[in-house]
Amino acid sequence: MILQSNTSSRPNIWRLLFPVFLFCTTLIPAIGLAHQSPNTNILLDINTKMVAMELQIPIPELALSFDHNISKSPATIVEDYGDRLKAYLKAHIHAWVDKENPWLIDIVSMNMDKGIQAFSGPPFWELRVHLNLQPNQGEDTRKFMLDYDVVMHEVINHTALLSVRNDWENGIITDNPLAVGVISRDMQTMTIKPFEVNFKKGSSWKGFTSMFRLGVEHIKNGTDHLLFIITLLLPACLLFSVRHLLKIITAFTIGHSITLLIGVLGLVKIPVQLIEIIIAVSILVSAINAITPFFNGKEIFIALGFGLIHGLAFSETLQNLHLTSLDLALSVLGFNLGIEAMQIAVIAVTIPWFIIMSKTRYFRIIKNIFAGMVSLAAIGWIAQRVTGNSNLLSEATDKLLLFSPWLILGLCLLSMTLFAISFFLSRFDSLK
Amino acid sequence: MKQRLFLCILSAITITAIFIACKKNNSSGSSSTSTTTDTTTTTTTTDCSSSTGVAKVVCLANAFLATLTTTQQASVVQTLNLTNAKLWSNLPCGLSCRDGIAFSSLSSTQLAAAKAVIAAATSTTTDQGYDEFLKINTTDSLLYTVAGGSYGPGNYVICFLGTPSTTGKWMLQFGGHHYAGNVTFNAGAVVSITPSHQGVEPKSWTNANGTVITPLADEETAMANMLSSFTSTELGSAKISGSYSDCLMVPGSTTNTFPTTKVGIQVSQLSSTAQANVLLAMRRWVEDLDSASAAAFMTIYTNELASTYVSYASNTSGVSGSASSFFTTNTDYVRIDGPSIWIEFICQTGVVYPSQIHYHTVFRDHSRDYIGL
Repeated sequence: MILQSNTSSRPNIWRLLFPVFLFCTTLIPAIGLAHQSPNTNILLDINTKMVAMELQIPIPELALSFDHNISKSPATIVEDYGDRLKAYLKAHIHAWVDKENPWLIDIVSMNMDKGIQAFSGPPFWELRVHLNLQPNQGEDTRKFMLDYDVVMHEVINHTALLSVRNDWENGIITDNPLAVGVISRDMQTMTIKPFEVNFKKGSSWKGFTSMFRLGVEHIKNGTDHLLFIITLLLPACLLFSVRHLLKIITAFTIGHSITLLIGVLGLVKIPVQLIEIIIAVSILVSAINAITPFFNGKEIFIALGFGLIHGLAFSETLQNLHLTSLDLALSVLGFNLGIEAMQIAVIAVTIPWFIIMSKTRYFRIIKNIFAGMVSLAAIGWIAQRVTGNSNLLSEATDKLLLFSPWLILGLCLLSMTLFAISFFLSRFDSLK
Repeated sequence: MKQRLFLCILSAITITAIFIACKKNNSSGSSSTSTTTDTTTTTTTTDCSSSTGVAKVVCLANAFLATLTTTQQASVVQTLNLTNAKLWSNLPCGLSCRDGIAFSSLSSTQLAAAKAVIAAATSTTTDQGYDEFLKINTTDSLLYTVAGGSYGPGNYVICFLGTPSTTGKWMLQFGGHHYAGNVTFNAGAVVSITPSHQGVEPKSWTNANGTVITPLADEETAMANMLSSFTSTELGSAKISGSYSDCLMVPGSTTNTFPTTKVGIQVSQLSSTAQANVLLAMRRWVEDLDSASAAAFMTIYTNELASTYVSYASNTSGVSGSASSFFTTNTDYVRIDGPSIWIEFICQTGVVYPSQIHYHTVFRDHSRDYIGL
């Protein structure tokens, strides 16, 4: 989920920065040695026990080195050439710390997909291979030699971009892999030298803090989700009980954690679109509740329920990390703490204004206007997520939310004005 | 009492909120935009017809600049340094982003003035130089019509690294998808005509006027004539192992390096006919430049001919004596690699027309690319 949430239909005040980020990250490999004829992508997921590797090999290039006939029916290459391909790959991929005792290379799965590289034009078929590189007992997974010459043993100009997608202990957890090097033929010797993979030693602390940051980001990017929480808390403002507010927030986090764990263990898989729709519906429901309360003080359970839904969306990325059980527990903990921290921060800058206004005679009308606007936004999002196309409402909401900091400032000024008016009016009343 | 407490909390929170709001706004960095005022320079028609050679190129370059706004001039004239010099590519932002101003942002007067600069720096022969540039440009426009994307003639750029002058050093960069020209001038002379890239897809087509457009046909013919004039034994020595799916010195890469060892057959070991054909093949690239500079560079490359190598890959159907048996399929490749000259010519499966092959070529110079930078 993480950065995928940026590209999905969720509104996001940081969305403006995302193209810049994307541009910067795509530029890294682009400026490197990438080729106009498509290159291979090698993605590494590193943990303390092994290195998981994903290869994305363009078929037009593989055809030149493996068998020209594969281009004829690319969709069924895995079915037609599976065993030969595995043997071919194993002959051209070796990893070792001690050359005499190479690592065990296990091809987990192979499938066909359509790849696209901006600098290579239209989409082309590519072979995706998932492998596990298993070191010998006691050997480091962060420093080893990778002897790789798939395709390029034959195609002289072919290159492979090597990137780290996940390195938990170094805080690299991303869907935009970090480019670390290029494997290609050396022009001096005209040979392909083994590539030295050497990542600095990471730590569980780094993994934990990066998961914390991820939790913060996750909530920060989900403006719809924040609107839900604020709307849910709105009726509770009248109670002026910080404890009650905290209870609701914590209930949400508990719900989130439960489904996150379930998801990581691979027990449930629900389509992302469905989850997004349910989230939008829940915003509408809580907005209606803010106008005419029908939760009847059961906000805690509603928050728990919503948390359960939201947690499902995130589990996929954690699965990709191939973490050991201790790291996984730390990840879930760090991630949830990040979510909690960010939620509290956002609530701290918004809810007080509502609490202040709740002391005035205007609270009902303000609350209803706010809830009415949130309902409209929610309806817009529901329509957007069902149809897959944005509409007037959702676009207007997205635009408006770009000014979130100013909206909060406006809310603050409004609350103070109303409070002042209310204060003087009550003075005036008492004088009478 | 309760109300006073409220007011205290209120003011504390306000300050915090304003602080946070301001900070957030700063970090987004998108709220403030700087505007620059465009001052349009009055267009004066400069007559450069009396000047010749580099003086004419410089005169036309200044005439082109005079048609531009100051903002446009700032995009065209960039600093002459190695980083900028390497920013040529067959894609606007493929391996690296091109410098300069896009043709699409120029008015017809400005575009005509830009093209006049290119015309003055290149050859006037049909299917060479400027004519070849225009034909590749119009072929890219066909690709754009068929496939869209970044191929369009509007994505062609022109850029000056350094200020055009007849005394100082400056570089003219121009090109688009299947064309990249880099010409360096110093003290009124052309000192480098590389790197250069040309390509074409489809390799032959007929335009609305019924004219058959084949910008790189004579380059292909020259290379095919060269290889077919080799004896079978010579072909055997020239053949190199492995396949090529692209040129080694691929356009747009800022990091690629020439192989240190020359491969294939040394030209001095070829028959005199074949040697002459190697020179003829080189001419198809070198003579894209204005005739005076082309002659000077041909002298250099001819003097180095004996220690130049020719190599080729794939071309499985290629046989001695038959020019048409060469360059027929994907990966058919040839290279001329001398002490200075480097030419690669390759057939690739079409990207927009996948049932046909299309050509990519790269012309470099071991010692004169990005000269002195």
